[in-house]
Amino acid sequence: MATAQETTRIVLAGRDPRRIRRPRTAGAWVTLVAKGIAGALFVLAALFPLAWMVIAGFKTKTEVVSTPFQFFPEVWRWENYAQILADPTFLRTLGWTFLGAVLFTALSLTVNSLAAYAFARLEFRFQRTLWVAVITTMFIPGMTILLTSFIVVTRLSMLDTLAVLVIPGAASAASVFFIRQFYLNIPASLEEAAMLDGCGRFAIFWRIFLPLSKPPFVVMGITAFLAYWNSYVWPIMTITSPDRFVLQQYLATFRSERSTELGLLMAGSVLAAAPVVILFLIFQRQIIGNIKMAGLK
Amino acid sequence: MTTETIERRRIIAERAPAIRRPRRRYRDTRLAYLMLAPVVVLLGIFVVWPAVYAGFLSFQDWSFYKDPEFVGWRNYVNVVTDPLFLATIGRGFVFVLMTVPIMLVLAFLFASLVVSVSRRFATVLKVGIYIPTIISAVIASIIFVLIYNYSGGLLNAGLAMVGLDPVAWIGDPAWALVAVAVPAIWLGMGLTSLIMVAAMVDIPGEYYEAAAMEGADWWQKTVYITIPQMKNVFLYLLITGFVAAIQQFELPLVMTQGGPLDSTTLPNLFIFNHFRNDVNVGYSIAAALLLFVVLGSVSAIVFKFVNSERLVD
Repeated sequence: MATAQETTRIVLAGRDPRRIRRPRTAGAWVTLVAKGIAGALFVLAALFPLAWMVIAGFKTKTEVVSTPFQFFPEVWRWENYAQILADPTFLRTLGWTFLGAVLFTALSLTVNSLAAYAFARLEFRFQRTLWVAVITTMFIPGMTILLTSFIVVTRLSMLDTLAVLVIPGAASAASVFFIRQFYLNIPASLEEAAMLDGCGRFAIFWRIFLPLSKPPFVVMGITAFLAYWNSYVWPIMTITSPDRFVLQQYLATFRSERSTELGLLMAGSVLAAAPVVILFLIFQRQIIGNIKMAGLK
Repeated sequence: MTTETIERRRIIAERAPAIRRPRRRYRDTRLAYLMLAPVVVLLGIFVVWPAVYAGFLSFQDWSFYKDPEFVGWRNYVNVVTDPLFLATIGRGFVFVLMTVPIMLVLAFLFASLVVSVSRRFATVLKVGIYIPTIISAVIASIIFVLIYNYSGGLLNAGLAMVGLDPVAWIGDPAWALVAVAVPAIWLGMGLTSLIMVAAMVDIPGEYYEAAAMEGADWWQKTVYITIPQMKNVFLYLLITGFVAAIQQFELPLVMTQGGPLDSTTLPNLFIFNHFRNDVNVGYSIAAALLLFVVLGSVSAIVFKFVNSERLVD
């Protein structure tokens, strides 16, 4: 039954004629194998350091860097993973970073989608000026404003709070642009029906645009989550109490202060990287699909 | 960062402003301002004002504990006559040369491979190459510093297997910048490769079919079709790669703190360290602004160049 369905689907989809298998010659087999090896080398190069990190998490502290060098541990031990997961500081940092990342993502999607809708569908004074102003902020390199942003948050007494991590980066011109682009492609006919029912402009945003916003929200949400999860420089400037450290700060501090406990450090790094890797694998289609070459040919 | 680069490109792509010609009266001004307020206020406080403030402070002698005092161009003069800062710029260019060409070549080969294999294998390749992109600079630094470990690291063990002497990768000023460049390439390959793939997929298949009928081999197709069709993408990746590489500072910050003997002090790391250690904020800000002006004008010129029709045949 499954086969019949499968066949129907393929027939309906109109199978690409170029993909019909021809009998392969010896030369074609060589090419195929060569491509397989080349592809494997690329993926291996990309994943090898991560694999090494995961394996090192199973080693004792002296095995991670040891003479003579051993790639695999003598005995595979779960102790590092168990120990770091039982460490209240690590767990608190993980939870704290997760909380911040969720708040940051939510705030970012909220403010940026509101602005995106206004730019996509509303008519107002100074529309063009505001649009240019918002877009221009994207071209200001980070270092220029990193230093003065630090001065600003110091003046605002935001240092060492969750707010300093969540609020300053939430508004993003890139995100406004991306969501607006999606909203511009929503057909106006959808709104007209709602208008006839007496919906106002905001109700249209709330009832029609938001429910349709999953695709841009997934891409921009993950971008925001990743940016928060991986951030290091801004936290080391603004967060000084060790009990408020974010994950990357915790790892960097762990590395310098407990430099002999390498197995534990590796296990901690694995657990710090795992959530975002899993998030990426779940949404890889959307994220990779977003990388297109619009108009750059 | 990732999406930002993509968005920048899209802005260029979008030539016609989507703003409709306004009627005499604007329909939704009040609602629009309410909906825009959060973004405008946040960007205003945390992006626009800091940028303006940076411009102001770069002309002042100021530290956190005293009133600013106007000093004219003195900070800028101090920056451009500081051999340490100029050395970091030179180092930044060396770092660009170490990373960008290799990334472009590898990404091109990768893309050529991806467009020639089955769809399923292509997906595996794309997902695989992209995974390092989502790893933080801190974790990448931790991994690579241990791999570089002098006496017990993987890399020197590998060298020993082929009979070479161990190298103090991050302890030797001659090697340290290379040691930082490798994880930079590792982290940056994903996006560069996938942009390259997307561009290559966009080349019309008819070109290749016509070439195949003439009996062209892979090499000829690459030289006469693929590369000419992708020159704007190369240019784009070259510039974004240049801007990203010369601004890199998280990796050396975590891996080497700029050492040994300043051999990994890239421009932004120099500015960052200066800001943290020197009470005179004006100097650091002037240096950051100078870098911004240089990078900004290079990007602006090239973006305009890419955007113009001149390059499109």
